[in-house]
Amino acid sequence: MTLNAQAKGPGASADSQGMTIVARTQGQMVRRRFFRHRAALAGMLVFGFVIVLAFSSIGFAGIPGWWDKSYLDTGSLVNQGRPTLSVVPGFLGGEGFRFGEHPFGQDDLGIDYFALTMRGAQQSLIVALIVGVVATTVGTVVGAVAGYFRKGAEAVLMRLTDVMITIPVLIIAAVVGQMTGKSGAVALGIFLGLVLWPTLGRLVRGEFLSLREKEFVEAARAAGTSAKRIIFRHILPNTVGVIIVAATLSVANAVLLESALSFLGFGIQPPDTSLGQLINRYRSAMTVRPWLFWWPGIFIIAIALSINFIGDGLRDAFDPRQTRVRA
Amino acid sequence: MIVFIARRLVISFFVLLAATVIMFVLTALSGDPLEDLRQDNSPNRAAKIADRTERMQLDDPIPVRYLSWLGNVVRGDLGVNRDGHDVAIILGDALSATLQLVVAATVMAIIIGIVIGIVSALRQYSGFDYTVTFAAFICFSLPLFWVAVMLKQYMAIEFNNWLKDPSIPPTVIGALALLGGLVFGALTAGDRKRRLLSFAVGFAVTAALFTLLSVTRWFADPGFGLPLILAISLAAAVGFTVLSAGLNPRGPLYAALGAAVLGALASEVLRSVLADPTWLEIIGLALVTVAVCAGLGYALGGLQRRQAITAAVLTGLFTGGVIFVDRMLQAFNGYSAAVRGRPISTIGARTPNFEGDFWQMNLDSASHLLLPSMALILISLATYTRYSRASMLEVMNQDYVRTARAKGLPERTVVVKHAFRNGLIPITTLMAVDFAGVIGGAVVTETVFGWEGMGKMFITALHDVDPTPVMAFFIVTGTAIVVFNMIADILYAYLDPRIRLS
Amino acid sequence: MTTPPNVPIEPHAVDPHAYDNAAHLVDSAEEVHVGLTLDAVRPPSQEEILRVENLTVEFPTEDGVVHAVRGVSYTVREREVLGIVGESGSGKSVSSLAVMGLLPRSARVKGRILFRGDDMLKMSPRKQRGLRGRKLAMVFQDPMTALNPVHTIGDQLAEAVLAHELMPRKIALARAKEMLDLVGIPQAESRLRSYPHEFSGGMRQRAMIAMAVINNPDVIIADEPTTALDVTVQAQILEKLLEVKDAVNAAIVLITHDLGVIAGMAHRVLVMYAGRPVELGETDPVFEKPRMPYTAGLLGSIPSLDKDSGSARLRPIKGTPPSLINLPTGCPFSPRCPLATDICRTEEPPLAETDSGGHFAACHHWDRLAAAEDPTEFFRTESETVA
Repeated sequence: MTLNAQAKGPGASADSQGMTIVARTQGQMVRRRFFRHRAALAGMLVFGFVIVLAFSSIGFAGIPGWWDKSYLDTGSLVNQGRPTLSVVPGFLGGEGFRFGEHPFGQDDLGIDYFALTMRGAQQSLIVALIVGVVATTVGTVVGAVAGYFRKGAEAVLMRLTDVMITIPVLIIAAVVGQMTGKSGAVALGIFLGLVLWPTLGRLVRGEFLSLREKEFVEAARAAGTSAKRIIFRHILPNTVGVIIVAATLSVANAVLLESALSFLGFGIQPPDTSLGQLINRYRSAMTVRPWLFWWPGIFIIAIALSINFIGDGLRDAFDPRQTRVRA
Repeated sequence: MIVFIARRLVISFFVLLAATVIMFVLTALSGDPLEDLRQDNSPNRAAKIADRTERMQLDDPIPVRYLSWLGNVVRGDLGVNRDGHDVAIILGDALSATLQLVVAATVMAIIIGIVIGIVSALRQYSGFDYTVTFAAFICFSLPLFWVAVMLKQYMAIEFNNWLKDPSIPPTVIGALALLGGLVFGALTAGDRKRRLLSFAVGFAVTAALFTLLSVTRWFADPGFGLPLILAISLAAAVGFTVLSAGLNPRGPLYAALGAAVLGALASEVLRSVLADPTWLEIIGLALVTVAVCAGLGYALGGLQRRQAITAAVLTGLFTGGVIFVDRMLQAFNGYSAAVRGRPISTIGARTPNFEGDFWQMNLDSASHLLLPSMALILISLATYTRYSRASMLEVMNQDYVRTARAKGLPERTVVVKHAFRNGLIPITTLMAVDFAGVIGGAVVTETVFGWEGMGKMFITALHDVDPTPVMAFFIVTGTAIVVFNMIADILYAYLDPRIRLS
Repeated sequence: MTTPPNVPIEPHAVDPHAYDNAAHLVDSAEEVHVGLTLDAVRPPSQEEILRVENLTVEFPTEDGVVHAVRGVSYTVREREVLGIVGESGSGKSVSSLAVMGLLPRSARVKGRILFRGDDMLKMSPRKQRGLRGRKLAMVFQDPMTALNPVHTIGDQLAEAVLAHELMPRKIALARAKEMLDLVGIPQAESRLRSYPHEFSGGMRQRAMIAMAVINNPDVIIADEPTTALDVTVQAQILEKLLEVKDAVNAAIVLITHDLGVIAGMAHRVLVMYAGRPVELGETDPVFEKPRMPYTAGLLGSIPSLDKDSGSARLRPIKGTPPSLINLPTGCPFSPRCPLATDICRTEEPPLAETDSGGHFAACHHWDRLAAAEDPTEFFRTESETVA
């Protein structure tokens, strides 16, 4: 006797009423909502810019970049190592846009600080991205298995995460960092990812727990679909939003975590460098050469902030409940 | 309830036990504990190596070392570090230093964060909301150590320099006034005209305040004095009454105002007691305040007795706090002279060899706590703001909030009694877990500010590949996490009658 | 969302001839066995308490402005039961929330809402709040979520009294107990200390009704009060609503999409479609002789339990309601209307008086409906035509 159900008779297509309704796929809707999120868009541009700048300037993995100085060569100090970068245009009393000899200045040994900062940014980005990928993959797989099969797998995961959450993240990361920091950015990233997945695993498990009771999964099960197919074709696509958002935010956290570890001396070890390590190395230079302190900090903030904004945009895009009403 | 706690404790015990295995093994494997000695060129190098090898049982395999450590712990012995110092003693000092640092900071962060979050949620999509959201994102993206070093440079070194001649340049006053105006304007609901008006008011008030502070060189000899104490307390009385009972009928308001006046007068009457009190006396005074204010609320509250007591007690305690701060500020001059005009400190927990009266000693710890606390607050503030904002937004959209409005309840009751009471439930969980985290989590801050706390102890031990102090650190932090998680669950059940512990 | 056929739970208490003429249309009226019928309650007076004039509500969203309510006018008289029917999204709930002043801040409300002659939209917030819950009360759709889970029932009832009257809590609680007794909750005294989750759905809705009438309101707005409940409980709740209304001498605005409920309970009915009122009049004439094809379509969409009835076939309305952001020009029902002609697609008909007094309809072709013997015949399905 409910009107809503009766009134919408079957076979009543939108066309037959002279109205056109544009059907959008989920992907299109997500994209549309994401690109409407201005902060996320700005974050994407900044993040892209930082990546391109970091990897193209000084080159990567043997491929030379467009910047002619190396992050290892010392040199004579030009103008006491002050930055030569100028962005204030002439009509505002500045010196116009100029890159100069040492745009970010030089450290006390005369190393070009632009090259050094770029190298640091490369290393920090590599660690963060690897942490993101490893933690997301492991977390998703374990969370999915535990959430879908329950029983044994779930008990193991829950006990394991119980154990892991009693150890503060920074503590376990420091221990892992001390073990692997010497082996370079890739190893550090992989091992950090291996200890940081439980949060994401719990999240995915929660999603799976609620989705596996849904009608469409029951329907698939009733139709005799294999567990593997149900997990990958039916449930996982529905958790993609949650996973992508969590993965994005885990990258932002990893940037900060890596820099904190390097700062404490448990991250990338000299002679190689990272943004956090640069800040630590030039901490005492704050009063004499503040730029040595500023540049890596600005890059860390730029990376973390842009990723956080991207994550926020993704969350809004994947969560249609938050249709915003303009006040 | 007791069954729940008992079961949780048993499970937690095994969880912790498993975690100690992981921590011990990883720490032992994380490097070479003899590294510094191998590079040592002193003649007794071999003896030193042998000595440390024996003390750390380096010839035994790691599982044997773990078991022997565990055996000692069961007997109540935390062991010695690699240099032979008793870890229990190191731990005790470190723990008290860290607690001093984090407790106040976390409480402040929780209170400020929740208030900002709620206001931001109630003013969703306002200028204030956008600013808070953006600021929270910045805070999320700030490396803590970077902020800490910046604070040291600008809040301590430069601020101390400025204190020598504490006049505020007009441009700075202008900027502060602009900021004040923007905050006022963004917080005002309503049309453009009203917002512009409150912007103007905010601008004028802030400008006048800072000009006054600058002209009277207040920072050179700070303090409130009786009239200002009274004014602040009366304003707080009105504020607390609005929050707890509303201004009509008058009973609760009179009780709160009475509490403020009594408190201010007491500060004069008790001059001799307050000259150089002990902590015991301060606590006693606080208890007396609570009793007197509760009596006031009871007598004047009328039909809204309960709310009147709340308002009066909060006002009384707040007034006491203002008086406390005033006394500390009055001690500033003497203290500043004692530390050669550099009152804001950047290193350690207290000025070495400094002796003064109660207020000066407190000022000394306060000035040492200021910067690390600011760094800690800045970082966790963002989490609380975002969390309580999200929680409030969710709750404000619930049907029962609409029901509360449909009953004709005043907006204050709708927000405080119906929305906040429910929004608090998830925040409580976050608070409990976070509190556990900060005990071990001030690692970075302690390193930057040379604070000899838990974090410092952990970092040193890990650098030395010395498992005993690391494990002592972990036992404390791990236990704290387990216990606070349990407290979170109990609080949850207490706040939400739908949840039963089992 | 389909509702299973109602199961009779009580002996037939309705005058069996009350709906004879419309029996083939509103069989379901018999299914809701309201023990207490309209005939038994005190009749409405002619005194107007609530008058809504040309009410419009718009919500600005990112996809455009949603025109949720477009020019609704109606009056409510003392002790009257006014039914408002329509599909989801027809604006029936939004218009009543507007009357209560409970719409989100982003909503743009225009028109006049006169409570005993005072325009509520022009009142100070304080004065408006004084009316809410005291003179105008509301019963919401879902009692599961409408009660605050962390406060006791007694507390939530008592605070409704204390919001408008200063009195000792004890007295307010005594009044709350009295109300729980009135709505038929057993052991009211101890139930005051219960939390909502300890109540069943039906009991919670009873508590909501108690909360609504605790201040002796003049108007109770009941927004689909039984939709979320078990079918067996629905009739009890409706009966209780009528009984309580009489006890406190209030009028009821009953919002529902259940025509059977309206037929059994409402003196007058207002049919809404796409934010507009499309038909208004005394309940029986409207259901017997609908003058708007949409109402006829609704009546044809009701399944009948009576197998012998020749016209018991379901005759659903084809299509879906229009988007409230991009409304079609002309009559919003025209894309789905079997009677639609060119004028319907260009010109929106006003709500105008039809052949009988007090019966208003917004249709260019109401006379064609009047001429038809069975107004639902226009919605005849293809299979029927073939047969």
